[in-house]
Amino acid sequence: MGKALGAVTRETIPLLPDSKSPHEYRTVCLPLLMTDDDESKRIVLESAVYTIDGCAKKCASTVVKHVGATPVMEILAARVLAEHREHKPETVLDIGDGGRLLAKDIVEIIANDGGTD
Amino acid sequence: MTFKPKIGLISCSGEACPGGRISRAATLEVLHHLRPTDTVTICLPLFLAGDAGERGFAGVFPTITVDGCSKLCAAKGTAEYSAEPAVRINIDDYTGGRCTSTDEEMRTQSDNNLVKRVAQDLATHVDHLRQEWE
Repeated sequence: MGKALGAVTRETIPLLPDSKSPHEYRTVCLPLLMTDDDESKRIVLESAVYTIDGCAKKCASTVVKHVGATPVMEILAARVLAEHREHKPETVLDIGDGGRLLAKDIVEIIANDGGTD
Repeated sequence: MTFKPKIGLISCSGEACPGGRISRAATLEVLHHLRPTDTVTICLPLFLAGDAGERGFAGVFPTITVDGCSKLCAAKGTAEYSAEPAVRINIDDYTGGRCTSTDEEMRTQSDNNLVKRVAQDLATHVDHLRQEWE
């Protein structure tokens, strides 16, 4: 909640439907999944899941595995940043241009993996 | 000198509707600007995943949950795994329930005004809870 990289991961979500294949994507609310919501669990179990985590605790990835699914890719924002050091986010309140570019980097990773585009 | 605890703010971390963004923005406004020395935030995913530190704090000190929609994951999760939150805030109560809208509407000026309203209410609750603490 208080980390700039967490804000970057959330910033990727509105970018995904802007891609060429918007209907390929839907997002799952992580807290809802953690509270055992049946619909969220069904989506995760029936879909190719990409997890995007903002910190090393990797809650998103951990919870997806906990409900019995296997993410096709586990993306950690810090690792993406390590490969694009010029795209450093500013603060959690305003991730700035660097943060927005990092969000696009993450979307590209998903797209290049076959998620869309 | 009387001990006054910091108040734990537990915000929605979801992306399913605009209320999630509003809840986080309001929480951060309180944490960084309105009551920076009186509050801490608790990471909801970490809390729900079972982190002992997050749950321990919420079990002892007052918390305010800020939910982005009427599913109330933060409030229900806090009550189930630690203790009943001192205050439950639901963004749907301010908006009349806009969880169906996920378009660019969420980034309008009206939402910025809503963030300020929610943040001010949060700050008021923080003050009351600290005053009531014995």
